[in-house]
Amino acid sequence: MRRLRIVHSESFRLAALFAVLFLGLAGVLMGLTYWIVEGTQRAELLRVIDADIGTIDNGFRQEGIDEAVEVVRQRLGPAETADAVTGEYIYLADATGKRAGNLDSFAAEVGVVWMRRSRHEHSDGNAARTLGLAKEPDEYERGTVLGRGVFIAKDVYLFVGRDTATIVATRTRLIDAFGWVTGVTILLAAIGGIVFSVQFLRRIDAITRTCNAIVAGRFNDRIALRGNDDEMDRLANAINMMLDRIGALMENLQQVSSDIAHDLRTPLTHLRQRLEEARDKSSTVEDYSVSVARAIEDTDELLSIFRALLRISQIDTGTRLAAFRTLSLSDVLNELGAMYVPVAEDAGKTLRVRVENGACIDGDKELLTQLFSNLIENALGHTPPGTQVVVSLKLDPAAVVASVADSGPGIPENERAKVLRRFYRLSVSRSSRGYGLGLALVSSIANLHDASLVLSDNAPGLRATVSFPKR
Amino acid sequence: MHLLLIEDDIELAEALLAGFREHCYSVVHAADGASGLQLASDPRPEAEFQVVILDRMLPQLDGLSVVRRLRAARISTPVIFLTTMSGIDDRVNGLEAGGDDYLVKPFAFAELLARVRVLARRPLPDQVVTVLRVGDVELDLLQRTVTRAGRPIELLPQEFRLLEYLMRNANRVVTRTMLLDKVWDIHFDPQTSVVESHISRLRAKLNAESPMDPIQTLRGAGYKFLAPS
Repeated sequence: MRRLRIVHSESFRLAALFAVLFLGLAGVLMGLTYWIVEGTQRAELLRVIDADIGTIDNGFRQEGIDEAVEVVRQRLGPAETADAVTGEYIYLADATGKRAGNLDSFAAEVGVVWMRRSRHEHSDGNAARTLGLAKEPDEYERGTVLGRGVFIAKDVYLFVGRDTATIVATRTRLIDAFGWVTGVTILLAAIGGIVFSVQFLRRIDAITRTCNAIVAGRFNDRIALRGNDDEMDRLANAINMMLDRIGALMENLQQVSSDIAHDLRTPLTHLRQRLEEARDKSSTVEDYSVSVARAIEDTDELLSIFRALLRISQIDTGTRLAAFRTLSLSDVLNELGAMYVPVAEDAGKTLRVRVENGACIDGDKELLTQLFSNLIENALGHTPPGTQVVVSLKLDPAAVVASVADSGPGIPENERAKVLRRFYRLSVSRSSRGYGLGLALVSSIANLHDASLVLSDNAPGLRATVSFPKR
Repeated sequence: MHLLLIEDDIELAEALLAGFREHCYSVVHAADGASGLQLASDPRPEAEFQVVILDRMLPQLDGLSVVRRLRAARISTPVIFLTTMSGIDDRVNGLEAGGDDYLVKPFAFAELLARVRVLARRPLPDQVVTVLRVGDVELDLLQRTVTRAGRPIELLPQEFRLLEYLMRNANRVVTRTMLLDKVWDIHFDPQTSVVESHISRLRAKLNAESPMDPIQTLRGAGYKFLAPS
């Protein structure tokens, strides 16, 4: 099974493909080498033949046919006898017939001549060496002879030929070499393919195992990285990131569910009390309608907690980005300022609005309204009478900086990060209204808008600064 | 404000987009009639445009056809035409096809902006009532003025909207949540007494010279603007 998987793996297939390509390339190279070497060797052979012809021709011209015969004999040496094994073949004839050479008879063929050597056993037991005319061969064999026939004078015919054994030997060596190359390539490709496939499969198996473990409930498992940033590492990293995101969303969901269960008990109890009161104490239609209206208000409050929670989750998943519009943050803050000035006055505090006009940002108006409303409410709700609250907006070259600052007790530095959490409440504000969702929501909304939220010391008091990047 | 610009001249479109953005207007741009029509016909409320700025000459579907199809689909978003054709017939055709305004190129951006604003605040057909009257309180929606027993009362914009909503729902119980939603466009629950504070100021201004308080508080439930029976 395992072996089959390796052969079927992508990396093995790839290795095989490369081996085939490499073999093709090697074949082409070998062919080319053979073609060039063969051409060179043939030219060299003809050069040697022409040199011999020149020497014999020279002797003939200087001293006549007898000298030519002498030269031939010298050249052939003991090879002149038919039995001698030699690479050189000469045949010299004049009008009277054969004069010298180690060939028995010969047709007077002129030009480059291809021949096949053959031996004839004579009846007297002597072997006669003959060459038969042949076409240029498709492939060399032992006994193929290349030569040239010329008439060095009228009636004087000379043939000089050479065995092509050297060419045959070269060809044999090249074919042998190609065989070796093929063998080694296939071997290496197979080994490489198996090694790569095993590694590849091992890593794929690791990912599969992790995924299965997660399916089985071990949500915190992650795929191990090698740290070399290769494709598999990047894939593993992407999967890990996906798992982290899913994990965060799941945690978010669990958190929200438990928060809801925990925090809705109080308002639900209130609602129940009101309804009981209505049942027990109401006598007139007016009483009933007041009780019902109160119950509706309680329900609305419940719904608003739900809404705030759901909104935080919704914001955290980024689904509200679609509702982004270009809007004037100045208008939003001015409108909120006008809304809260009377509230501040009634609580014995002052609210001042110092907003520069023309601050355009891309955002969700409803969420931004909620963000600053929450900040202003915190500034008004958790501070003693006499507190001054300043809502301001400044246009920086790089950012639109909005802040809500109060002169109240502030938040201790070590608590500032914690107050952004859901349902976290400072011990001093346990008695005041609220569910500890305000700043969590502020933080989520700021995140969604790529805005930074900084809580700092207003000396005295708290300053919440939200900086929106300029488009 | 959310606008739709249907204009195939990219250079002009970009200049207009930049201009509107500078004034904090949110603009969606379509470069041809067909995609413009599609955007303008989106039934989702969050995709609704206050004004459509429409070029007469467009690829695929010309401006007149876009307006005709919008109106045929009972979409009444105000439409302002942009065109180089300044003949009387052209204007008449444009307006008869269902356009609401007409601007001849070249034009000043300030003029387009002004016309868009006018179109955006043009009252919808169902708002034919311009003066609300409950008891001796009179509220003029066009002049944005309020009188009680003939005496003018100065109100801040938010107080005006609050009174308008109370008067429109005279003799009905109006909860805090309803007021926050309709008057302040706030869809969450403020933890402070926004509504109470504004009501008390409105009450003080309304009742400065009258003994009878028309705004009845129903503890824990909301408010009722009383109409004398």
